[in-house]
Amino acid sequence: MTTLATVLGIIAFAIAGPIIGCLLAGLDRIISARMQGRVGPPLLQPYYDVRKLFSKENASVNTSEHAYILFAFIFTLVAGGVFFSGGNLLLSVFLVTLSSLLFIVAAYSTRSPYSEVGAARETLQAMAYEPMLYLMCVAFFMASGWFDVAGVFFLDAPAITTAWLAFLGFLFVLTIKLRKSPFDISMSHHAHQEIVRGVTTEMSGPTLGLVEVMHWCENVLFMGWVAMFFIWSNPLSIILAIVVVLAVYFLEIWIDNNFARVKWQLMLKSAWLVALVAGGLNVAVLAYL
Amino acid sequence: MAYNSKSPWVIHYDASSCNGCDIEVLAALCPGFDVERFGIINTGNPKHADIFLVTGSVNEQNIKVVQEIYDQMLEPKAVVACGICACSGGVFHDCYNVLGGVDKAIPVDVYVPGCAVRPEAIIDGVVQAIGILDEKAKAMAQQKKGA
Amino acid sequence: MELIASLIVVPVVAALLLLVIKNDRARDVIGVAFAALIAVLSIAFAVVFAGTGPVDYSVTPNLENLLSLVSLAIDLVVAAFIVCYAVRYKRPLALGLAIVQILFALWIEFFAPRTKPLWLGTDLTTAVHVDALGVIMVLIIGIVGSGICVYALGYMKDFQAHELHENPQAKDRRPWFFALMFAFLSAMFIIVLADNMTWMYTAWEVTTLCSFLLIGFTKTEEAINNAFRQIVMNMLGGIAFQVAIILLASFRVPLMFTYFIQFASSQPYVVLLPTVLLAFAGMTKAAQIPFHTWLLGAMVAPTPTSALLHSSTMVKAGVFLLVKLSPVFAACLPASVMVILVGGFTFLFCSLLAISQSNAKRVLAYSTIANLGLITACAGVGTPEAVWAAILLIIFHAVAKSLLFLCVGTAEHHIGSRNIEDMDLLFERMPRLARFMMLGIMCMFVAPFGMLIAKWATLVSFVETGNVALIILLAFGSAATFMFWAKWLGKLSGIAGEPQNVELTVHKTEWVALLLMAGLVCVTCVLLPLMSSGLVVPYVEEVFGVSGQGIDDDNLWIAAICAVAIILMLFAGLGRSSKQKKVDVYLAGASADNMARTFRGSMSQPVAATSRNMYLDNIFGETRITPIASAICTLVMVAGIALGLAWLVIAFMNLFV
Repeated sequence: MTTLATVLGIIAFAIAGPIIGCLLAGLDRIISARMQGRVGPPLLQPYYDVRKLFSKENASVNTSEHAYILFAFIFTLVAGGVFFSGGNLLLSVFLVTLSSLLFIVAAYSTRSPYSEVGAARETLQAMAYEPMLYLMCVAFFMASGWFDVAGVFFLDAPAITTAWLAFLGFLFVLTIKLRKSPFDISMSHHAHQEIVRGVTTEMSGPTLGLVEVMHWCENVLFMGWVAMFFIWSNPLSIILAIVVVLAVYFLEIWIDNNFARVKWQLMLKSAWLVALVAGGLNVAVLAYL
Repeated sequence: MAYNSKSPWVIHYDASSCNGCDIEVLAALCPGFDVERFGIINTGNPKHADIFLVTGSVNEQNIKVVQEIYDQMLEPKAVVACGICACSGGVFHDCYNVLGGVDKAIPVDVYVPGCAVRPEAIIDGVVQAIGILDEKAKAMAQQKKGA
Repeated sequence: MELIASLIVVPVVAALLLLVIKNDRARDVIGVAFAALIAVLSIAFAVVFAGTGPVDYSVTPNLENLLSLVSLAIDLVVAAFIVCYAVRYKRPLALGLAIVQILFALWIEFFAPRTKPLWLGTDLTTAVHVDALGVIMVLIIGIVGSGICVYALGYMKDFQAHELHENPQAKDRRPWFFALMFAFLSAMFIIVLADNMTWMYTAWEVTTLCSFLLIGFTKTEEAINNAFRQIVMNMLGGIAFQVAIILLASFRVPLMFTYFIQFASSQPYVVLLPTVLLAFAGMTKAAQIPFHTWLLGAMVAPTPTSALLHSSTMVKAGVFLLVKLSPVFAACLPASVMVILVGGFTFLFCSLLAISQSNAKRVLAYSTIANLGLITACAGVGTPEAVWAAILLIIFHAVAKSLLFLCVGTAEHHIGSRNIEDMDLLFERMPRLARFMMLGIMCMFVAPFGMLIAKWATLVSFVETGNVALIILLAFGSAATFMFWAKWLGKLSGIAGEPQNVELTVHKTEWVALLLMAGLVCVTCVLLPLMSSGLVVPYVEEVFGVSGQGIDDDNLWIAAICAVAIILMLFAGLGRSSKQKKVDVYLAGASADNMARTFRGSMSQPVAATSRNMYLDNIFGETRITPIASAICTLVMVAGIALGLAWLVIAFMNLFV
């Protein structure tokens, strides 16, 4: 039963994830442009970009890179399918980790200096955000009594009421996961930086297009993680959750446009400190009080 | 295949010049002109770029660099020579190490003269390059079908 | 019973045979034959006992007395060996500990009161206790352990060739090496099957001695030092084991392990000190901080030794004891807290320390210690879910770690280094080996492979028991684990140019063993749900009455399908020629020789673009972390033992009031 639901979830996510993710990405670019006093591109600009990438010449620096990216993409879809079919939150987190590992290995496999630096930094980023993700899941479980996301629909009060501190900590590492400044140290969406395009330096044409689509899906999944904190048995709460998701997304764009990039040392220390204080404290309170 | 014209990503390389055109290119890409309205993005990476903007003339030292960047761009691609130096060598054309315009190194699609070239002219050049890009994409698609 | 006897005797026979055989070919044949025999026997053993539930065997009093004398004799021989070595190399500490051990062993044999348990009638005592955990351990020892022995046949040829190259007069001491390897297996079988605690102790000491001799095998000064460090630390554990036996005997508790566990679970505080001491013995053997240095030092030995110590024997004896004791920990808070804290901190600190290491074997060693720490912590929690997770950790750690050690050993012989930075481009230089290594690494830390499933269960069990400290330690430790494995994986995966393929000269026996381990990793990961219901759940049900599987079958199957996908990617998806056009990498347009990653630097000279991984030595370096970690864990252990002692003293004084 669960397996069937998961398969259906994966199919649904494979269709809806890219569409919603694409719109979110387009929104991001328009809002960013407006914050800088510009008009910005059309809403569907990310779609045009990806279509163009897929129409370009298919080239690669080695025979493995594309396979890694393809599997990273597949596991992102599986993670999303597991999550949105109401499956296990931890499984979805672990699969996203697997996907980011394959993304890192794809960059390493090119053995290009810029990609390698990007991959090393991406690894550091993963180390920085992982503890908070685990603690976020634990806090969610303690607050809701479920590791299965579907459990939120049986709650009398949303998880945020008791897990708000862990949620705030999660928002902090969400900036890393969404690759927003000040934590866009492994690859930035902005041009001219010291590591060219970091992780994606060697990825081009259709491979890069796939990476873009994967990031859209990832973003949708992360927004799902945000939303699950605000849903309870009341069906109207879904609307509330969507509003919160949009607000959080706006906040991330605002942060992106207002902060300069930091060094990795500061990122690691601050993310771990946040995990320890926000995550640890919240979990301790939920366990002992 | 209209998608190429909707998202032309640009890479900019400054060969040997007085940096005047170089500054103008960056000025054209700055928020004031908001080229992102047309999907134009300045990438720092030839592998991601569709349009190659070169300023300045080609000399013995940088000819290989210009060629390598061009080679690493994926088809379809277009080259815009910005400024008179890039078109023909300009005032530097008889310097001891200058080889001449960019077309001495790679095929150029659009010549944008000027000293220094004005942002409006650059944008105009890029728009022309977009047209060429579309044609090339069409040719590529046909070739694919034919093959 | 015959099966059990043959499991114990066959490796001994193999050891004796290999001790006298000097011919390479004959050694190959006999080694492979006996390894296969042991593997077959252990599989047969598993088939017979897998579904039966716990089975006890008794021996007649005469035979029991005889075996006890034999066990005493072995004790004395072991101690005599240690005394000889300690005298020869002038190590007073080892000498003192060995003499203490002799005295204790004699006292236990001749003066300790023997009590028969009431529930078994008058004369009978159980000698052998087979339960589902025993079956799992026998499978690990029998298959992984003998696989490593097969690998060693090829490896030691290269090793010997290297020795002769360095010193043409070097003696061929390989018979001794192989005899020790097989003797080790026999001792391990006794540890996991014996119910008589004195016999268990004897086998315990035999493993200590065997690993001492294997670590010191090369007889360099470093090897001798590390071997003595190992034996001093493990003899401390051994003495703790002996003291526990003496205390139990004087409490009139029958010296049968299963009985002890039942007794201790119902009246934990009466036997608090013996419990704590046994846990201490288990933790020394499982190389928990501050005793982790012996396992780090053990890597001076030839690689098959490390593989054997890390994966299927020695350290697994330690965690086996702890997992067996877990029902006691569940009932006994002080012992539980001690074990949990030591295990949890060991996991965190060793994961952090592994980030700073570039020596592949040292990374593996730290990762082993970290995982043992996690198993220890799970055993300390002692709930069914935690024990389920601990057993899975034992299984997956055994298969994945042996695969990794064997890979590193082979790579070392062919690229001449065990430094991770030198494993650059291994994907091209040793294509098959690199894929095996990548499989092993991925199995160690990432979903959907076994270790991560086990960690997942661990997290669930910690959450359900509300163990906040452990949750936090696990969260940070896992993040560190990701870092040090991912960067190694990245180094392996690099592809550039067309370097020479150097794996054509790998010995056939090495490939056989590598294939076996890789196959085991794949099979265990993919069939995890079946393994759980067939092997692990039965044990947890025997002990706790509930299944303890903290993760739904559905989720396990999803993970299994994902594992299949990853395995397909590694062995069928990567490196295949495709329609994609091959292009050069971006070197800022200044390539000199793009394949070799050189660019035209200043003065137009070619410069190689190289990069090293991040080791963050100023954050996670050994000099920074080890003292803190050792201080914390020592404090916890001392506090635990002191508490046990205090309890005993109070109970003793109450007798007089």
